Amino acid sequence: MKILETKELTKSFGGLTAVAGVNYQANQGELSTIIGPNGAGKTTFFNMIAGTFPPTSGEIWFRGENITHLPAHEVSRKSIARSYQIINIFPNLTVFENLRIASQSRKVTYNFWKDVEELEDINQKATKVLETMMLQDRRETLAASLPYGEQRHLEIGIALATEPELLLMDEPTAGLTPDETIRIMELIQTIARGLTIILVAHDMDVVMRVSDRITVLHQGKILAEGKPGDIQKNEEVQRVYLGGQRY
Amino acid sequence: MIGLSLGVIYVLMASGLSIIFGLLRVVNFAHGTFYMLGAYGFFYILTLSGHFWVALVAAPITIAAIGMLTEIVTIRPLYGTTEINPLLLTLGLTYVFVDVIRISFGLAGEPTSIPQGFAGAIDLGFMIFPKYRFFIILVGAAVISLVWLFVNKTNIGMVIRAGTKDSEMVQILGINVRRLWTMVFGIGIALASLAGALAAPISGINPEMGEFTVIEAFVVVVVGGMGSLAGSVVAGLLVGEIVAITTLYYGQAGHASIFALMVIVLLTTRYGLFGEA
Amino acid sequence: MKTNKKIEWPYWVHVPILILLPFICPYSALATNILIYGIFAMGFNLLLGYTGLLSFGHASFFGLGAFTTGLFLLKLKTHVGVAIAAGVLMATLGGVVIGYISLKRREVYFAMLTLAFSQLLFFIGLQMKDLTGGDNGLAGIPIVKLPLGINLGRPLHSYYFMFVIFIVVSYFIRRLLKSPFGKAMQAVRENENRATSCGYNTRRIKFISFILSTLISGLSGSLYCIQLRFVPLETLGLNTNGEVIFMTLIGGLGTFWGPLVGSSVFLLLIDLTSKIIERWELIVGLVFIGFIMFLNRGICGLIEKARSARKQRRGAPAGSV
Repeated sequence: MKILETKELTKSFGGLTAVAGVNYQANQGELSTIIGPNGAGKTTFFNMIAGTFPPTSGEIWFRGENITHLPAHEVSRKSIARSYQIINIFPNLTVFENLRIASQSRKVTYNFWKDVEELEDINQKATKVLETMMLQDRRETLAASLPYGEQRHLEIGIALATEPELLLMDEPTAGLTPDETIRIMELIQTIARGLTIILVAHDMDVVMRVSDRITVLHQGKILAEGKPGDIQKNEEVQRVYLGGQRY
Repeated sequence: MIGLSLGVIYVLMASGLSIIFGLLRVVNFAHGTFYMLGAYGFFYILTLSGHFWVALVAAPITIAAIGMLTEIVTIRPLYGTTEINPLLLTLGLTYVFVDVIRISFGLAGEPTSIPQGFAGAIDLGFMIFPKYRFFIILVGAAVISLVWLFVNKTNIGMVIRAGTKDSEMVQILGINVRRLWTMVFGIGIALASLAGALAAPISGINPEMGEFTVIEAFVVVVVGGMGSLAGSVVAGLLVGEIVAITTLYYGQAGHASIFALMVIVLLTTRYGLFGEA
Repeated sequence: MKTNKKIEWPYWVHVPILILLPFICPYSALATNILIYGIFAMGFNLLLGYTGLLSFGHASFFGLGAFTTGLFLLKLKTHVGVAIAAGVLMATLGGVVIGYISLKRREVYFAMLTLAFSQLLFFIGLQMKDLTGGDNGLAGIPIVKLPLGINLGRPLHSYYFMFVIFIVVSYFIRRLLKSPFGKAMQAVRENENRATSCGYNTRRIKFISFILSTLISGLSGSLYCIQLRFVPLETLGLNTNGEVIFMTLIGGLGTFWGPLVGSSVFLLLIDLTSKIIERWELIVGLVFIGFIMFLNRGICGLIEKARSARKQRRGAPAGSV
C-alpha cells in the first residue's frame, strides 16, 4: 500500500535543476533505498519531502494527503521524521534529554508548569529509544562529548523518538568504520519493523543487503527502480553508477 | 549641504564596520570608540606638531595600529567560539577605552576650531559651501575610492572578497587568514578614526562622542547591507541627509527617525538595500 | 519522586542567604538593587541563555516598566499593586510588538532591530517631557506604604518586599525551565533546525520566550521605580542594555543562579571600585573582557561544568538518575 507518493516533483535552483520530475512511491512497511552519484539530487529530494524548502513544481502526497507546501514542523507532525547526513544533535544537552525533547514534541510543548521529569509516558518513550539505540550507558553524557559512532546512534534516535510512521534517513552510515556500519545497519533492520523507511545510502554492501526496493537517481531523474537483484543486473545502472565496481 | 558632509562621515564609519563584519563576522561595537580615539589622536598630534596634514594622516595610522593590536590580543582568541563572543568583547572594549580617555584627558573633552586654511566658504557657482565641510567630502570620497580600488582591483582585495564568501576555502588555499583578518580590522579602524579626525574640528572632542555615532553607523550598515561597500556609501549619504534634515526641524529627536528607517528597511528587504547573507 | 527530593534542597538554600543579604552588604539599598537587577537579568537570561537569542534592546522593557509604574504612582495615584501590574503589562505589550517585528529577522539583524526599538523609545522618552520628564527623568514618586505598617521608604522594608517578589518570580522561572516549554526553549537554542524537524514551531517558541522575558524585565523596572522613587531616562538607554548583558554573562549564561550572582558581582564591584577610584567603568569593562576571554561560561557556568565533569568521571551507571 502506497504511503508516500511524489508527482513530477521538481526543484530548480536558479539555472540548476536538482530534481527533475520525479515520480516516486514508497510502500508501507518497506525499507526502500535511494542511491545515486553525488549531486544526483537525493538530499534535495529529502529536503522537499521534509518541508525544508518547497518544490519548484510537483506534489507530495502522504497517506492520501497533499503535504507539498507544509512547513517543516508540520511535516514532522504528520509522523514523518528525518535523520541527517551531517550529525544534527543538541550538543549541550545529555543524550537522554536529546531523546526526550524529541519524544515530547508532539504533545506538551506549551506546558509551562509541569516538571518534565514527572511526565511518565514521555520519559518512558525516551528510555525505550535509548535502549533501542544501545545508548543506555551514555544516558547522562553530553551529546557533544560522544564519540562519532555513538553520535550517529543518537542522530537516528532523535528521529525515532518522534514516533514516525515514515522515517527518512540520509546517509546514516556516513563516516562510520566498517564495524560501526554493520551495527547501524542491524539497528536499522530492527527498527524497520512497523515503520516505513526510505534510506539514502552510498555503501552498496549495505544497500543490497537490507533494501526491499532500490531506486537509482541520476541527475535529478529516476534512472531505474526495482528489487536489489534487478538493479544489480541493470546495465544502465552499472554504466552510470556502479561502473567499474565488481557488482 | 551639511547633510552631505555628515553623510560622508557616516560612509567612512559604516564602510569600516561593514568590511569588518563582512570578513570577520564580527559586529564591532567598539567602532565608535575608535572614532573617538581618532578624534583625540588628531587633536593632540595637531596640538603637538602644529601641522594639520601630519595630524590627519598620523592619527588614523596610529589608532589603526592600536586597533590591530587589540584585535590580536583580545578578539583573535575568540574566533571559532560562539558568534556572540567577539561582539560582546567589543562591547567591553568600549567601556575600557572610553574610561581610559576620561582618566587620561579629563571628562569634559576639548573644544576645537576649524583650522585657518579651511575657514570660510567657497562659492561653487550654484551654492555656497563651507570650506571645511567641502574638504571632508573630498577626502572622504578619495579615501572610499581608494578602499574600493583596493578591495576590487588588487590581489589582496580579491582574497578579502573571497574570504567574505568562504573563509574556509581561503584557508585551504594556504593564505594566512588570521593576518588577513587583522589587516582588514586595521583598515576598518583606520576608516573610523579618520572619520573622527575629520569630524573633530567641527564637533569638538569628548570621551562620549563615539557612543551615538556608532549606533548611527550600525543603522547605515544595516540599511545599506552588511558587508556591502556600495551599500554603505548609498545608505551613509542617505542617512546623513535624513539626520541633517530632521534635526533641523525636530532637534535631537530627529535622530530617532533613522531607527524608524532601519526598521522599515529590515522588514522590507532581507539584508538591507545591497546586502546578501 | 526521588529526583526532585534530591535536588530541591540546594534550590531553597538561597532563601536564608537572601534573608541575610542586607546585613552582608555595605548598605541594604545595594542588596535591594541586587535583587532588582537579578530579576532583570533573569528575564534576559531566559532569552539569551536558554533560548539563544541576543537582544540589544532590553532596556526598552525595563524602562517601560519603570516609567509606567512611576506614572501610575505619581500622576494617577493608584495602589502599588495596580501600578506594578500596569508596568508589567506595558512592558509585555512592548514585548509583543517589538518581539513580533524583530523576530522576523535572525541573529545580528534581530539584535539590531531590538536595539533600534530601544533607541526609538529612548528618543520618544526624551521628547515627551510631560510624561517622562525628558532628560531629567521622572521625579518625586511617592513613597509606597502598605498595610501592616510596611513602609517601602524604609530600606529594610523595601528589601524584604522585593525579597518576597523575588522568591515568587524565581520560583515561577524555575518551574518554567523544568517544564516541557523550558526544554523546548533549550532545544531551539541548541539546534533550531533539528527542533523544527522534530515538530517544534520554533518561531512561536521564540516569540513566547521573548514575551516572557520582557514581562520579567518589565517587572524589574517597576520595582526599580518603587525603590528609587525616581526614573532616569537612562533606564531606556544604551547603558542599561549593556549592563544587563554584563551581569548575565559574568554570572553564567543559561544557568539558573547566574543572573543573581552576576548582578551581585556587578553591583558589588561598582560599589567597591567607586570607593577606591572614581572610574568604575574601566574596571567593570576589564572584568567583563576577562570573563569573556577566560571564564566564558560565567561563575555559575564554571561551577556547573565542574560538577558535571565530576559526575561523568564517576560514571553514572545505566538506569540511575
